[in-house]
Amino acid sequence: MAEKTSPYGFRYIGAKRRTKEDPRFVTGRGRYAADVQLPGMLHVAIVASPYPSARIKSIQAAEALALPGVRCVLTGAELCAAIDALYVGVDAPKVKRYPLADGLVRYAGEWVAAVVAETRAIAEDAVELIEVDYEPLPHLVDPEEAAKPGAVLVHPEHGTNVLYHRKFVWGAVDEAFDKADHRLAFRARWGRSATVPIETFVAVAQWDAGNEILDIWASIQMPKFPDQVARALRLPGNAVRVHFDIDVGGSYGVKRGIKHTLLVSYLAMKLKAPVRFLEDRLENMRGGDMHGPDRIFDMQVAFDHDGTLRAWKIKALDDVGAYAGRSPLQLGKPVSAICGPYRIPAVEYEPTSVMTHKTPQEAVRGFGQSPTNFAMELTIDRVARHLGMDRLELRRKNLIRKEEFPYRIPSGTTYDSGDYHTVLDKALKAADYAELVRRRDEARRAGRLAGIGVSTCLEPSGGNSSFEPLFNPKNETTTWMDSCLVRVDLNGAITGVFGTSSSGQGHQTLVSTVVGEVLERDPSGIRVIAADSLNALPSNSPVGSRMAIMLGGAAAGAARKIRDTLVRIGAHNLGLAVSAVTYRDGDVFDTLHPEKRLAWDQLVDVAHRKFHKMPPDLEPGLQAKFVWEVPTGGTLPTEDGQVQMYPCYSFETHVVYVEVDPDTGKPVLQRYVVGHDCGVMINPDIVHGMTYGGVAHGVGAALYEKFAFSEEGQLLSGTFMDYLIPSALEVPEISIVDHCTPSPLTTFGQKGSGEAGYLGGPAAIACAINDALDPIGTAIAETPMSHLGLWSLIRAARAKPKMKDAA
Amino acid sequence: MKAAIFEYARADSVAQACSLLAEYGADAKLIAGGQSLVPMMAMRLARPAWLIDVNRIAELKSSRRDGADWVTGAALRQADVERDGEAARAVPLIRQGLYWVGHVQTKNRGTVGGSLVQADPAAELPLVAQTLGARFVLRRTAGERTVSASEFFQAPMMTATEPDECLAEVRWPVWQGERIGSAFDELSIRHGDYAIVAACAQVEVDSAGRCVRAVLGIGGAAAVPVSVEAIARSLQGTQLEDAAIDAAVESIGQYLDPGSDVHATAEYRVHLARVLAARVLRQARANAAGGGRGSRA
Repeated sequence: MAEKTSPYGFRYIGAKRRTKEDPRFVTGRGRYAADVQLPGMLHVAIVASPYPSARIKSIQAAEALALPGVRCVLTGAELCAAIDALYVGVDAPKVKRYPLADGLVRYAGEWVAAVVAETRAIAEDAVELIEVDYEPLPHLVDPEEAAKPGAVLVHPEHGTNVLYHRKFVWGAVDEAFDKADHRLAFRARWGRSATVPIETFVAVAQWDAGNEILDIWASIQMPKFPDQVARALRLPGNAVRVHFDIDVGGSYGVKRGIKHTLLVSYLAMKLKAPVRFLEDRLENMRGGDMHGPDRIFDMQVAFDHDGTLRAWKIKALDDVGAYAGRSPLQLGKPVSAICGPYRIPAVEYEPTSVMTHKTPQEAVRGFGQSPTNFAMELTIDRVARHLGMDRLELRRKNLIRKEEFPYRIPSGTTYDSGDYHTVLDKALKAADYAELVRRRDEARRAGRLAGIGVSTCLEPSGGNSSFEPLFNPKNETTTWMDSCLVRVDLNGAITGVFGTSSSGQGHQTLVSTVVGEVLERDPSGIRVIAADSLNALPSNSPVGSRMAIMLGGAAAGAARKIRDTLVRIGAHNLGLAVSAVTYRDGDVFDTLHPEKRLAWDQLVDVAHRKFHKMPPDLEPGLQAKFVWEVPTGGTLPTEDGQVQMYPCYSFETHVVYVEVDPDTGKPVLQRYVVGHDCGVMINPDIVHGMTYGGVAHGVGAALYEKFAFSEEGQLLSGTFMDYLIPSALEVPEISIVDHCTPSPLTTFGQKGSGEAGYLGGPAAIACAINDALDPIGTAIAETPMSHLGLWSLIRAARAKPKMKDAA
Repeated sequence: MKAAIFEYARADSVAQACSLLAEYGADAKLIAGGQSLVPMMAMRLARPAWLIDVNRIAELKSSRRDGADWVTGAALRQADVERDGEAARAVPLIRQGLYWVGHVQTKNRGTVGGSLVQADPAAELPLVAQTLGARFVLRRTAGERTVSASEFFQAPMMTATEPDECLAEVRWPVWQGERIGSAFDELSIRHGDYAIVAACAQVEVDSAGRCVRAVLGIGGAAAVPVSVEAIARSLQGTQLEDAAIDAAVESIGQYLDPGSDVHATAEYRVHLARVLAARVLRQARANAAGGGRGSRA
């Protein structure tokens, strides 16, 4: 395959090169947690609560235990006494959460008991034989009701259903509202969707009694996972070994799986046998605790006649379901980009996290940013409509200009760099915006509902999770490091080692490309492996679009140390000062007399075998580690809630053309263009792949996907018959236009891109649909924008006297 | 999602399948493509004690013209039928309906008979069968009977097939004539989903463009697919002009009994039935006028 050279002047970074991982996946040679087969491995199936709220009166397991092949029925009473509660992201110590319910069940689908058997089929047979006697209790499904005083309590010990509430005021918000020419207010609703990877949660645990180590293979993507497992199991950290060298079959945030892992870990230790839980789809959708944000936004905005935005107020009520975990923090990340890409001098933000009797929420791609971007972009379009101003003109007027970077927003974060106007222009050009307008207007003349949507959105990246101390003053974490170890063996081959899981982000391609760049060696020969957690250097895992920045930076740092060592060995053996030699392609030579040189193999040979030729103060061998703190990290929030969060800000603009069938409400996306700037792309194929996937995910959230609950607290979309993920037939052809504004904070100018496509997609689709609905005088402000929902709006609008004519 | 324990037997002939059914009766299920039954078994919504595999029975795979009927064997794969040009010429609605069924992968396994005996009220093939008045040949050890579509579809997921009977073949009426047109359309949220509402129609016009014969069917809006005979009849003698169609379908709700679920309300379904009925009638008219029998809706 021909390699295209890097557009940035690098040797490998940015060049179009085959990824390390794809051949393995495409040929079916990935190795997932479900591929781990251990002798004597036992299997788990779950007894789940049919009630959203109930007291467990008794559990009868005798019949199940009598079934041949059944080894154990574990209940919450035993497990909760033996382990500690799971981590809670905010200061709510009485919101206790364990893998199995003990006493109370708080959502339909919650795990009540686990059956362990020789096969999964037997375990399922046994589940049917277990009789649980429940006393149903009152339940709550409405988050606004749940937040009111006197509401039924999901966790009575906590005293309220509110997990977190604070009003942040950054800048002179009320004054801006008083002085502005115009004010607008509206409500937007982000429906409960998630990412639903093909691979459900899988966890395998084995207790190595000889070494007293718990071995874990799990499909996870989670910061501090080994530490949390050890703490909950009351084991020392060095007694838990998480094997990161397995592939995770998709995550996009949700693969936390801590309760799954604790369950099999406890069972493996108790039964002295390896235990696996491979969640099936029904268990996953209802009880896997992987639903995403479920939000009500009350937006207010103040602006002038000329379109200048003066301030906005964002109230966000998020229904996290029955337990906390890290989910309340998904209201925190948006603080890092609370004015979007716009110059808004004053912002008020009032997040409330509330519990209801629903499946718990987990991190979803963007960690709360996509819903917030959706609400912000609807606001911008409403302002334009209110003023009769072109939406693009309004955006251009308020977008931060490239010469204004670094740009400090009111909430205390500084955006590193950007050129939003150029990216917007490039996307519009690629979409042939004028032609789209012509096409839309022609469609409208023919009586069709056609619209164009444009969004301009940010992707905070680099994973400095300062929302943790911001949302929990007892948490003083300011360290968000990542690390890499690079080794050159005595045969001269290079290995990069990272210490976390990979769920498709391409860590192997990343590390090999960066190390190859620094050492000037072909990345295709560089092996990259994941160390297990006992061998690993510290990592904060691939969350928050951070690995290109953090693992990329760490790999470069380690490779530079290797290079420095090689230069010193070369200079020493050439009898020259370090400043008199040149490193090129792995060789070191006399800059003035290039024929005097030591080749790569000779340098490696000295390092590994010829201590007598080593400079006096170097350690033998060729290995280097590099651990680095996230750029701009290391500070705590101020009293008034100002904090530097993510270091890097990627930008995306989506241009979408949609037609909505007025008779059926069916929306069809006919043109889709993304303009994207994530700085220097280490591997363009990986960035584009993530962006395509992110757009598809956004199409799902915007139009199709919803974990709907009945008034009775039952999940109505618990299978793929009703939870509708867009297929290749619903996702339009996507064109991506790249732009590069390097970050001044990172090693090569890279920014993050793991959430690209998802962060601006639902916003643009909503703006397009609203443009289509505008001629009939109606609008939508909720996801998913279902066929039924759109038809209902259209019908209601047609039943009314024509607003446009009346006005 | 592991099926409850079951026994498996493979039948090599319809006679053998029937004799196994006679033996195990209500505890047995025939399996062909398994595209509905296997997921239901995995979720333990179906738990037959016996599975009788009919995939290898050659006589269930015949495809032929027989008098006024086109005959399809019950175990023919949907994909094979969809690609069968002769079948499409004889009964264009079969291909037009199959276009909407699932995906290539599911159609490669799924069978015509399997879809019909599954009798999902929103499925495409049952709608075509009901609309055209197909007949179902049911065999048992003691003999054979033929039932009409209106008798066959009894309730959601329930047909007239007795526990000891095997659907052998389906006889689809072939319309003779020069100017026949048909069309199938549906609203599903994603391509390949069961329809929220589906509609199909077939019309014959005379040389003056006057409708001499029409059928119209609606799926997904009642317990079984509905052949809306009164509306179809009311169009006979008209030019099938838009106004006539719109007037005819206006009252369609009275022939339907739709339910509500998370994706659609009953009211939305009635509305869709009206919209889609008008669309398929217009398209069928256009196809008839063009003399084209097989074009896609």
